[in-house]
Amino acid sequence: MMGERRAAARAVGATKVYGSGAAEVRAIDDVSVEFASGRFTAIMGPSGAGKSTLMHCVAGLDTLSSGQVFIGEIELGTLSDRRLTVLRRERVGFVFQSFNLLPSLSAAENVALPMTLAGTRPDPDWIEHVIDTVGLGDRRGHRPAELSGGQQQRVAVARALAARPDIVFADEPTGNLDSRTGAQILAFLRTAVSELDQTIVMVTHDPVAAGYADTAIFLADGGLSDRVEAPTARTVLDHMSALDAGADLPGRAR
Amino acid sequence: MTRIVLKGLWARKRRLAGSLAAVFLGVSFLAGALVLGDTLNSSIGRFFGQAYAGTDASVRGSTNVGDSPMGERGTIDAGIADRVRRVPGVAVAEPVIDGAGQLLGRDGAAIAVLGPRTAGNWLTDARLNPYHLVEGRAPRADDEVVVNRAVANQGRLRLGDRTAVLTPRRVPVRVVGIAKFGDQDGFGGSSFTAFTVDGARRYVTASPNRISSVSVRAASGVSQAALVGRLRQVVPAGTEVITGTALGEEGMTAVTKGFLQMFRAFLLVFAGVALLVGTFSIYNTFTITVAQRSRESALLRAVGASRRQVLTSVMAEAGAIGLVASVAGVAGGLGFATALEAVFSAGGASLPVGGLVLTVTTVAVAVVVGVLVTLLACLLPAVRASRTPPVAALRETAAERPGASRGRALAGGTLTAGGVILAVVSAAAGNAMVLAGLGAVACLIGMVVLGPVAARPAGMLLGAPLRRVTGVLARRNTTRNPRRVAGAATALMIGIGVVTLFTVLAASSRASIQDTVSRSFGGDLAISTGSSVGGGFEPRLAEDVARLPQIEAAAGMGTGGVRIAGTAVRVRYADPAALTQVLDLGSAARLRPGQLAVTRATAHSHGWRTGTPLPVVFADGTRRTLTVGGTFEAGGPAGDYLLPRTEWTAHDPQPQDTTVLIKLRPGVSTAEGGSAVTRAAAPYAAPAVQSRRDYIDAQASGVNGLLTLVYVMLALAIVIALLGIANTLSLSVHERTRELGLLRAVGATRGQIRSIIRWESLMVALFGTAGGVGLGLLPGWALARAATGGTVAVPVTQLVVIVAIGALAGVLAALRPAHRAGRLEILRAAAAQ
Ligand SMILES: Nc1ncnc2c1ncn2[C@@H]1O[C@H](COP(=O)(O)OP(=O)(O)OP(=O)(O)O)[C@@H](O)[C@H]1O
Ligand SMILES: [Mg+2]
Repeated sequence: MMGERRAAARAVGATKVYGSGAAEVRAIDDVSVEFASGRFTAIMGPSGAGKSTLMHCVAGLDTLSSGQVFIGEIELGTLSDRRLTVLRRERVGFVFQSFNLLPSLSAAENVALPMTLAGTRPDPDWIEHVIDTVGLGDRRGHRPAELSGGQQQRVAVARALAARPDIVFADEPTGNLDSRTGAQILAFLRTAVSELDQTIVMVTHDPVAAGYADTAIFLADGGLSDRVEAPTARTVLDHMSALDAGADLPGRAR
Repeated sequence: MTRIVLKGLWARKRRLAGSLAAVFLGVSFLAGALVLGDTLNSSIGRFFGQAYAGTDASVRGSTNVGDSPMGERGTIDAGIADRVRRVPGVAVAEPVIDGAGQLLGRDGAAIAVLGPRTAGNWLTDARLNPYHLVEGRAPRADDEVVVNRAVANQGRLRLGDRTAVLTPRRVPVRVVGIAKFGDQDGFGGSSFTAFTVDGARRYVTASPNRISSVSVRAASGVSQAALVGRLRQVVPAGTEVITGTALGEEGMTAVTKGFLQMFRAFLLVFAGVALLVGTFSIYNTFTITVAQRSRESALLRAVGASRRQVLTSVMAEAGAIGLVASVAGVAGGLGFATALEAVFSAGGASLPVGGLVLTVTTVAVAVVVGVLVTLLACLLPAVRASRTPPVAALRETAAERPGASRGRALAGGTLTAGGVILAVVSAAAGNAMVLAGLGAVACLIGMVVLGPVAARPAGMLLGAPLRRVTGVLARRNTTRNPRRVAGAATALMIGIGVVTLFTVLAASSRASIQDTVSRSFGGDLAISTGSSVGGGFEPRLAEDVARLPQIEAAAGMGTGGVRIAGTAVRVRYADPAALTQVLDLGSAARLRPGQLAVTRATAHSHGWRTGTPLPVVFADGTRRTLTVGGTFEAGGPAGDYLLPRTEWTAHDPQPQDTTVLIKLRPGVSTAEGGSAVTRAAAPYAAPAVQSRRDYIDAQASGVNGLLTLVYVMLALAIVIALLGIANTLSLSVHERTRELGLLRAVGATRGQIRSIIRWESLMVALFGTAGGVGLGLLPGWALARAATGGTVAVPVTQLVVIVAIGALAGVLAALRPAHRAGRLEILRAAAAQ
């Protein structure tokens, strides 16, 4: 696991500005960051720091005001909407905090959705394997409305991984779950990185969740403020406290 | 609360645009129909006012054989004019002659004006004469005529041109003057050829001492009533005197009670269909918006709003929409009246439209109906909104119940089945039309109720061939909320249902007419004036044709009005011996003088049989008793009553044939016979010679014109239905913003998103179209059976076209919603609440 790893995705001088004039908000400001291939990166930071914005821009869901982002060696800013869509479909996976699944499709159909949209016939054995891996083998024909929140998130994770994308982005995937269910999901993500060499970038508020990652980076006020390798819940907490103190932000210190 | 309502309306203005449009279009149609009716009423009033403005009294024959006082009357003695002129208080009295006369155009053929083709005398008193010269002078010699400007233009006749008038005898004339009627180029669509009074007596009444009536102008100081009183003292029996004012009113009522009443009813029926379709569109839109707002309503309830307040707020919203759209609709109605007028003119019915008339009643009716329809459509959704439990504010899912209940299936099924049974039974029953109509209404309600039950299986069925992912997703969405699909499709179903109904009815009555005509008509060729009033040719034409070596038999047939047993009816007259050689006359083949023949249906409904004596009154006042000499099949060229020519000719100053039916000798080809007949007809202003096929088709052609008008009217209902589908789709795109965003995030292209919406629209449209065809087909079948007495034609080609139009409608309806769905930004969508 040592040595120079290729970056699965990176941002160079990424800046995103919302609004203009007095209402101008620099959600992220001149952020340069690399997400190494085959590693699990956690993005942390206080609410409003720009975590989601950074992730959306790197994932090609949103466009930058200035700067560049790359998936592999492809610069997203130059792509047409169509090429971008195809790139997302083939090389990027997503897990959102909620509403990850199409209500009219069964769990298995939701997992196969990116491949179906691409017009490729998903390999049923593989889909079955992925669903079994997330422990929903007996629920494959159920509609989202018939699944619990945790089960729905597992289906979402299965979908993100099923297409074997270059990189998976997850925005607070455990935000709505209790700690035990959350732990299952996180363990599952960890396994995907360790055993399948999957690249995962995850936004989280939870130091325990960050503990599953290989690297934790910290954002504050739209800028990169800190970085921890091989974090544990404890080291992350320590960094958070330090940052809070340094930035003089109220509330978080403990 | 008002503020909340207004703010809510403003926030949802885009989503409400669809409801607004549906109400607006429906009300526009209604207001347009009312405006056009009033406008016609007033301009027809003006017309007759002009026609009789200078006439204080008129003396005319007292026998009237038409439906209205304006109907056909016989001639009176010419000497009455002189007698009237000597009455004190009479300033001017002029003999008036009016009859049939076809002016020939530059090309030598009769000028085919749409209205009656009339001829008469030019009144020398400018105040009595409703026409006035715009070019040339009044006629002085018997062969000089003044013609109205419209017919001169149509026949490309100029001052000094020599041509001829068929009265029906061919009279060579020279055009010396061109006249206008008031500010118009003619009276309605009619043509008028005016001779001198002597010329008119010679050619039109065909007798030097007969005239049609006497127009009288009073000396100053003498009232119309006083004048009429004095005139009554001097006129002989068999004549009557009426005031000029009454004459104008007679004309007006004849038009308003007859044509105008039908015309209004016709338009109002379609306005009703448009409003009904609109109601369903609005209902569906409101159902969806209310469901989408259920969390909002629940929040209102949670913070203390009463049910009644929630109900009132939704109804107030509906009322506001209804009011705005209806007021706009009244304005739209003015435009619509103009458009309708253009449609009817293009369809061949030229309407005398002066400035549009917008009455207070029209405004009131349109606005009240528009608002009521909107309120009615919104009542159910509003009640549902008010029932939202406060806890719904905390729940994730919308409160709309997606499924269809068992009770609904049962009720809808029963109603539909009942309707079907009624319709089928009606075929055998006595008052078939009423039963078939009831069956149609029951079917309609039943199918509307059944819609949500049928939507799911229909969606699966329609979507079954779809294999591509976009199609599959569309199918899933369509089957997910059957109520909504049914709601959107209902409007289209009603529109298409009515279209189908009329298509089947029209095809059946056409088939039925063609059937009877081709069964009874045994000839090979025909000469016919078609449906023109006052058109015809000399009876000698049939004799000339019959003498041709290629011809085995030819029979001429004319038409006119009489009273039989007190009722004014149209009769045909012909030589029975000749006619029976080309037409199957049943037991009437050997009709003798002193007899008349009637159709079996007429005989049956009056309880007449062979030998029944019937009192007959002719226009000239003659009363005769004719006995029923035989019966024949209804619906053929011989109409309902047939008189021997010998019984007719004596009572008609201008007997003319409107049809000649011809049978070729064996071995003579149609082409050969046709050209011989054409040559023989040349001296009679070359009326067109039709083949058997053309003649039979032409008998049913009236149906086609009517059907075209019906289609034009119904196109609007279809447009409203389309708006409904587009609106439902837009709302559902809005509602599924997050879902569509997610699809985009995981890799659906904009094209794929658009395609999903298009497929959904197509399925909804096809569902509605299929339902509509089903809805129209069965009652159409029953009504057609009832109307034609058995003949039912199902026009497969037309039905296929209707389905194709429905599908196209679906694609069109999806244009905007699909575009908007494709344009959704992924993140906005994914983040939407
Ligand atoms: N569409 C938008 N328009 C205007 N400002 C926005 C928009 N989206 C985000 N912002 C602003 O950008 C900043 C960063 O937002 P972002 O959602 O990236 O924060 P975050 O770190 O993900 O916060 P949280 O932990 O609460 O999810 C915030 O100040 C936010 O108010
Ligand atoms: Mg966030």
